[in-house]
Amino acid sequence: MSVGTHSGPAASGTRPTAGGDAPWRRRLRFFLAVLRARPSFALGYAIVVGVIVIAALAPWIVPFDPMTADPAVYLLPPGGRHLLGTDGAGMDIFSRVLYAPRVDLTIAVAGTLVSAVIGGAIGAVVGYYEGQRAWRRALSTFVMRSADVLQAFPVFVFAIALVAVFGQSVKSIVIAIAFVNVPIYLRLTRSQVLSIRQLRYVEAAYVAGASDLAILWRHVIPNAIAPLVAQLSINIGWSVLLTAGLSFVGAGVVAPTPEWGSMIAMGFQNIVTGQWWPSVFPGIALGLTVFGFALVGASIEVLADPARRRVLSGSLG
Amino acid sequence: MTTENRRGHPVRRRDVIKSGAALVGGAALPGALASQASAAPSGTLVVAAPATPQSLDSNFDVSLGTFEAIAALYDNLLEFKKIPDPKRAGAFREDIADHPDMPAGLAVQGKLAQSFELDPAGKFIRFQLRPGVKSNWGNELTAEDVKWTWDRKFGLKAIGAFYLSTLGLDKPEGVKVEGKYTVSINLDNPNPLLAKLQPNLYAPIYDSTKCKEVATADDPWARKFIENNSAGFGPYRLDQLQRGQQAVFKARPDYYLGKPAMDTVIFREVPTSATRASLLQGGAVDIAQYLQPLEIMKLRDQKDVAVDSVDSSFMIWLELNAKIEPFGNPKVRQAMNFAFPQEQVLKTVFQGLAGPLNGCMPNIYAGFTDKFWKYKYDPAMAKALLKEAGLASGFKTSLAYNAGDPVQEPIAILYQTALREIGVELELKKVPAATFYNAVSERKQPMIFYVDSPWCPDVGYSMTLYFNSDSFVNYSNYKNDEVDKLIKDTSHTNDQKARLEMMTKAQDIVMSEAPWVFIAYPGYHFARRANLKGFTYYTSNNIRFQDFTRDA
Repeated sequence: MSVGTHSGPAASGTRPTAGGDAPWRRRLRFFLAVLRARPSFALGYAIVVGVIVIAALAPWIVPFDPMTADPAVYLLPPGGRHLLGTDGAGMDIFSRVLYAPRVDLTIAVAGTLVSAVIGGAIGAVVGYYEGQRAWRRALSTFVMRSADVLQAFPVFVFAIALVAVFGQSVKSIVIAIAFVNVPIYLRLTRSQVLSIRQLRYVEAAYVAGASDLAILWRHVIPNAIAPLVAQLSINIGWSVLLTAGLSFVGAGVVAPTPEWGSMIAMGFQNIVTGQWWPSVFPGIALGLTVFGFALVGASIEVLADPARRRVLSGSLG
Repeated sequence: MTTENRRGHPVRRRDVIKSGAALVGGAALPGALASQASAAPSGTLVVAAPATPQSLDSNFDVSLGTFEAIAALYDNLLEFKKIPDPKRAGAFREDIADHPDMPAGLAVQGKLAQSFELDPAGKFIRFQLRPGVKSNWGNELTAEDVKWTWDRKFGLKAIGAFYLSTLGLDKPEGVKVEGKYTVSINLDNPNPLLAKLQPNLYAPIYDSTKCKEVATADDPWARKFIENNSAGFGPYRLDQLQRGQQAVFKARPDYYLGKPAMDTVIFREVPTSATRASLLQGGAVDIAQYLQPLEIMKLRDQKDVAVDSVDSSFMIWLELNAKIEPFGNPKVRQAMNFAFPQEQVLKTVFQGLAGPLNGCMPNIYAGFTDKFWKYKYDPAMAKALLKEAGLASGFKTSLAYNAGDPVQEPIAILYQTALREIGVELELKKVPAATFYNAVSERKQPMIFYVDSPWCPDVGYSMTLYFNSDSFVNYSNYKNDEVDKLIKDTSHTNDQKARLEMMTKAQDIVMSEAPWVFIAYPGYHFARRANLKGFTYYTSNNIRFQDFTRDA
């Protein structure tokens, strides 16, 4: 069967081979040129890569155990052995700030991926069958109205309620994040699939006798995935924020797990009394990370859109 | 740096910062109150409290905010005499010491009752009511009001029922109207608390005329009315109650002890303690309640702000649930105490503002002893005890703490680290403030924080509350037959010497069996504007607006 991913629009933005370069080398060169032309994108990637590297290496680079309280160094200001100071239980803030993305990113990435997979799959099926025979149309309507209902709830309140139902644990927060994000991916994929299913290569596959599942899996989904990838990055940043928010209100990870939101919550009361460092440093780390993911998301949005990519490559010469 | 304002007064940088602080504080106080508060006239008292009253019915509500409301709206038959606080100049406190030379052995005096007569055997007490006392509805106090108040406790079977059982008053006929202004309480058995319980905050007298007027067949005890209104003989009347926002109280010009100096009291809900501290610092409120130790320490250094720190009946401890293993074993409970870094917690989390909880009742009550205290931080001893209990390799358990009390989380984390040393793995559970009391009363947590104080300053009452196996406040499920017997015997004799001996023995057993992890006596720290005078400490740990005056 010759009709595949490469026949779809996802491949239409690739440029003709020049000078016999390997495709990956060409793409890398283009990517680097984009980063040079758009420094904000470069900053985003630097932040995200930096946070990931720190999260991975945290056990080897932190100077203190992030979960050991030492009353002898209670609320020490930044400086000396404790670079960012200590908190109200005598825990080293620098070590905890570096450790925190292990939890925040794990929860955010897991929650977002689960929602993307589930939301994407449901969206693809709904989009593919929409407007067809009666029961399929009914199913599609039911799913879309259910998504409306889910999205009608304030996301944060809904997430708190879910954590309350499932109990306070990392798993519960992942479920909560996945649950509140599913409708986003569902709608995104559905709208993509609605337009893709009209294209000729899909019709060709149908005429060739391919099953619905095969058409969806091999021809529709691969061509609908680009906006999802862009959304993923933005959503991961947002999920980090949601995780921190849940922890801030006491519905997130259990203390003393190093997590930015819970660190801010533990220290914010001390700002009035002059001990700003237990909450300000995790706040900065959280802000930077979300900012980084937002920039990466913006770059993927440009790179994944063939039209905008063509404009960009034109401007790069 | 100074400059001049439009009136020609020099404006210093400090003034600008001060105004900024007031502005920030004011911004945190929603609505018009901020401006209203900062410009409060001398007869207006503005209180920043963690919560407004949920209900005004002392039979059903024990939430913060309700205490102050009950104290403002209602009066009791008796009160403890006031004495200057020995540790804080300008402050007063109830004289709760034993006074064998005084009637009932107590420094109590009449309030709504102008005099009282107590049976030396402790089987009856007779009150002669003050004539001419009017409620906020204009009805005169009579013996019928006292009778109806006690009948209500029988009828509703709520918090009032606890007082009935504490007194051993098992039938409404025990309260007898002997004349328009004469009423007596009569018991089948002697009870040493007959007079001592009368000044209790939750023993107020209702205006039965008004209550009967608003009662219905479905609501014979006027629950709905009392929940939202007042029908009492106290110094204030309720002007406004917007739950979650504010309560406003107005002084009664016809109050029998004279109109209070503070004409209007605005009792404002400000949930965050840091915001309450800011508001006080900025001058937007007169009183900031329930502040954290660091905030208190900071306010102590502020100009125009004063903090009265006095000994109190408050205690904070961890309940070790004897019905959840391994806490059924006293050796394990002892080990948990030896592993608790009490001194460090007092120094850091409490900033030295609290004292060590070295007994199982308030140390300000007669009969308290610290001679059975032995749990100085000793991880080696803790390990040895665990080994004796067959838990040499440690165990895993959990500790629930209140998300609304910022001192509990750092204590829990410090304890978690300390317990690792003896092989105990402690999981921390943060419980929302709104449901925390449910978590305590369900008694399903292996370990849970608890902050409380027995309001009746009596050794037998205190021990009964927390260590009688039948007590509803015995949240650690502690049971010791000998302690139960000692408590029962103590509640049935009026011989104070014998009572003290029995309760000393009970304290010995309880301290040895350690149903709690003993943490601290946090003390009572009252933060106010410096020109506000008259602070008085009560064992119910609440303020009474009628005590305050303001210097010009």
